[in-house]
Amino acid sequence: MTDLSAEIIALSDEYVLGLLTPTEAALVEEIMARDLELAQRVGDLRDRLLPLDLSAAPVDLPEDFGVQVAEQLANKDQLPKMQFAGVPTEKPANQPAAPKPWLAGMLAASLAGIAVGFGVAWMQPAPAPKVVAVLMDAQGVPQAVVDDYGNDTATVRFVADVPVPADRSLQVWTLPSADMGPTSLGVLTGAGAAQLSFDDLPDPSAEQLYEVTLEPLGGSPTGRPTGPIIGKGFAAEQT
Amino acid sequence: MQNLTVALALPRQAFPFIPTGLPITVWEFREESILAKDTDADARSTLLSRALADCAAGNQAGVDAILESEGRQLLGVAQRILARRDLAEEALQDAMLQVWRKAKQFNASSGSARGWIYAILRNRCLNILRGDKRLSTLAPADLATLQESRQQIVPEEGWEILAGPSRIRDCLGGLDSQSRHAILLAHVAGYSHAEISTRQDVPLGTIKSLIRRGLQALKECLS
Repeated sequence: MTDLSAEIIALSDEYVLGLLTPTEAALVEEIMARDLELAQRVGDLRDRLLPLDLSAAPVDLPEDFGVQVAEQLANKDQLPKMQFAGVPTEKPANQPAAPKPWLAGMLAASLAGIAVGFGVAWMQPAPAPKVVAVLMDAQGVPQAVVDDYGNDTATVRFVADVPVPADRSLQVWTLPSADMGPTSLGVLTGAGAAQLSFDDLPDPSAEQLYEVTLEPLGGSPTGRPTGPIIGKGFAAEQT
Repeated sequence: MQNLTVALALPRQAFPFIPTGLPITVWEFREESILAKDTDADARSTLLSRALADCAAGNQAGVDAILESEGRQLLGVAQRILARRDLAEEALQDAMLQVWRKAKQFNASSGSARGWIYAILRNRCLNILRGDKRLSTLAPADLATLQESRQQIVPEEGWEILAGPSRIRDCLGGLDSQSRHAILLAHVAGYSHAEISTRQDVPLGTIKSLIRRGLQALKECLS
């Protein structure tokens, strides 16, 4: 079970209300599928809000409604899938899933809306990021999201609660090219949302690697990542 | 609008809000389902959990049982959000298909079967409103009617009727009116952040933090 960050809990509340984009909803569902505590929080709020649904005036079903549904079920293999893109269909919700390398790309590929969807007030009005990368740990669990806007600015947000010892810092890195090697985008004291600005990097491109590592306080002494990787992922271009 | 407010403030009074002659019944207070006794709730919960287990096992009787028990209420929810009978029926059909497919994922340790089923229906309604271009097949006049109906779903005065005599009603009552209205617009009428921002004439970022704070306070009150 992962520790839940305040951000993912707030997102899960918005999920229950139906306020998330499909991609954000997929992110919450992915974490819910691995984390019973989050699933229980969602189920609990859902049940608490259920009286609101029960206040709708009931409407009689057409007489043949059950038959129509049965026909649909019988033909279900020919029908297009209707769940949110990327939500696995046949996985028990309470079993930890295998890491999904496709998930980062899938999430990032349509994550443009998340820049506003995360509701970070200081990001308003939000320009569109050029690329987005979802950073996962070794088990494939999303830890953080990097939005890179080009022009040497990016933001990082953590979707899991990453413990940072008092004598350590988090550091965000990217790999603009093999020649340049890993390049620091900024040092963080804790796993909170942060705006990053840096100097003279080429604008980000698709498939560019981003990662967050745990480093000595104040950042890596060598200018290269030295500590354990908290999460890493490849950028997806935003159109 | 004034009439609407008055009508909504009076429990048990059906309000035939029909802007352009479409057969839309928006409000009808129903005490019986909201005041359902615990034993009824337990029986329903058992029935729905069993129905989901049937679906997971590939037995269509599960779908029939859900429709039998919840069908009218589910269609009512869809009708309230989507304002059109044809869209509401479509949403419920799609939702039942998803319930069938996803029943294996239902985990009784994280919430009720009923809440899970309604969440699937609401998601499907929201997809129709926002995602899948279904609305673009409507004539402009129909679309205007639909949007106009959605405007009326959550009244500023008399919102209590939406919550019935429940704990959530007391807790919503404790929120400031702007947060409460925003939360109700989202949950009951399926409004997005952007739509709420436009409706309340408040910047998007402000609306988002307003809703987050409101939800936080709501959960503290409920727990």
